[in-house]
Amino acid sequence: MSNMSQSVPFPESVSRISNLRIGAGAIGLVLGIFAAIGLLTQGHESFNTNSNISWGLPVATYVFFVLTSTGLTFVASLAMVFGMKDFYPIAKRCIWGAIATLVTGFIALGLEIGNPLRMIWVIPTNMATSSPMWWMGLFYLSYAVFLVWKFLLVNKGDWTSGQSKVIGILSFVTVIFAHATLGSVFGMMGMRPFWYGGMVPVYFLITAALSGLAFIMLFINLDYGMNQANMSDKVRSAMTRYMPPIFGLALGLVLVFTLTRTVTGLWSNVPELNIPMSYIVGTFWYQAEIWIGMVLPLALMLSSYRSNAKVQTLAGLLVILALFIGRYEYVVGGQLVPMFKGAWYDDLLMYAPSMTEWGVVILAAAIGLLLYAFGEKKLSLADAPNE
Amino acid sequence: MAKWGMVIDLEKCTGCQACSTACAMENNTLPGESWQDVLYYKEGKYPNVNIKWFPRPCMHCENPSCMHVCPTKATYKDENGFVLIDWNKCIGCKYCMIACPYGVRFYTDEKPLIEPDMKKVYPGQDGQQYSPPYQNPNSDWTKGVGIQPKGVVSKCTFCYHKVSKAPAGVADLDEDNPALKEYVPACVRTCAPKARYFGDLDNPDSTVNRLIADKRGVRLLEHTGNKPQVYYLGDHGVVPAFTRPDKS
Repeated sequence: MSNMSQSVPFPESVSRISNLRIGAGAIGLVLGIFAAIGLLTQGHESFNTNSNISWGLPVATYVFFVLTSTGLTFVASLAMVFGMKDFYPIAKRCIWGAIATLVTGFIALGLEIGNPLRMIWVIPTNMATSSPMWWMGLFYLSYAVFLVWKFLLVNKGDWTSGQSKVIGILSFVTVIFAHATLGSVFGMMGMRPFWYGGMVPVYFLITAALSGLAFIMLFINLDYGMNQANMSDKVRSAMTRYMPPIFGLALGLVLVFTLTRTVTGLWSNVPELNIPMSYIVGTFWYQAEIWIGMVLPLALMLSSYRSNAKVQTLAGLLVILALFIGRYEYVVGGQLVPMFKGAWYDDLLMYAPSMTEWGVVILAAAIGLLLYAFGEKKLSLADAPNE
Repeated sequence: MAKWGMVIDLEKCTGCQACSTACAMENNTLPGESWQDVLYYKEGKYPNVNIKWFPRPCMHCENPSCMHVCPTKATYKDENGFVLIDWNKCIGCKYCMIACPYGVRFYTDEKPLIEPDMKKVYPGQDGQQYSPPYQNPNSDWTKGVGIQPKGVVSKCTFCYHKVSKAPAGVADLDEDNPALKEYVPACVRTCAPKARYFGDLDNPDSTVNRLIADKRGVRLLEHTGNKPQVYYLGDHGVVPAFTRPDKS
């Protein structure tokens, strides 16, 4: 197999960013372990979640990263399932990124669950098929297997054999079901109107796609030192001709989706929908999410600067932050109205993550970052098939 | 087979919390782990204020959403209508707590409600979350009876350890009947104004069924479709909508 992209020599800026990334990952690892000491010594008492706000920052982090993995697989599938060859030059990076973000998500979830190891035997032996969470587990596990399998094949240079194609299709199909069942974990909760709705899987689909695209904008530009001169012609073509409009389109759709959700919430008479939405809209974070994290990057993607690597990097970073805020608002927002608590809690519940919870996020993200950096150094992520 | 259910007469309930205390004593629950609680609601503005209260055990629903969402079948409904948790299967994902419309589930791996922290005063032994010197000798982790281990969800069992030993075919468990009083749930047995009744909802001759029919028993939050097996009597059995203090 040819390594056409590797024929471009890596200049100093690339290795500097690569080293910075490893450094950031290492610092994150140390900080994360330091904070996770709370988890080892006090267990989940060191979380600020409680019997009223049961799912906090670590669950929002899980949702964010596994949906990012979903989005990266969508982009890889453009080439490997739908035959859009222009995306081959970034496909291997997308698959490895999908693995790294999936691992990150599962670490965040694993450190949040009370008895994570027990899952290994109680989930397969009890077949709780009425639970959306059971299906989510089944599909994300299948997806993880197919994704790693596909990467191993691609890493051996097998892009287009029958087996490789089938595994690629299976990873795409399982991740469609995986994100949809994750959406249903929230969307099927009729007792929580803030989450409820059959369209939640669609909302997750579009935001997942945007999340994956934003990571591509950030990470691939960083991989090439935020300079398109370092890219091969085909990577440059993918990143300048195809990615900006797709990214902009997804961003526009998510902006519309976010605004319609907001307006519906503000307009609604249902207290469980209206009251938390009114509260959220009044926060700095919501305003930052909309204006800095969505409107500004959308304006950048509509401007003539959209092909500029540094602009793309910035837009990717801003969208990632906005989506993270959005996941947090969604997960925590659905729990702000106290569930049948009367005057014990006569206002919205208050929750702010503890240091340990932030530590879990930093630890998971650092491991993901180091995993990606390892791939970038050792696994020839620039590979693409021979034409 | 019985279908155990409870009737709570809001006209008789004084909101004294004796039921909550009896439950905590019987089941050795931690502060804040209120398997049984009395919830107060206020409506209206001074001088036309209305205060409501709902004694709230687990509703042991006919169609429990907590059970449907459980990814391991740790939460299950047994043949006599109890909704129970198998602590050996619970992974602590807390999805059931998300899905319960009545907020009756508790995860005690959280910051203590009050100081001193009972978990530090009586450190847990044999896997227990905490081990106070007096303990109810009845413990069955497959049914969520006793003091729970770490990382699992707990809730009211309808005093399974008492009720399940009642003679078969009994229509009602009445604390005034000396032959049956040991089988009566702690909250029912302790209720001074006798606002609580416990019996078989499948038995047409039971007092609980007669009360539900004669006094128009209602179930809370019927729109959620959970169909509780706890019924409320009295003319204020409607839960006020949530409002924020500054917006009401």
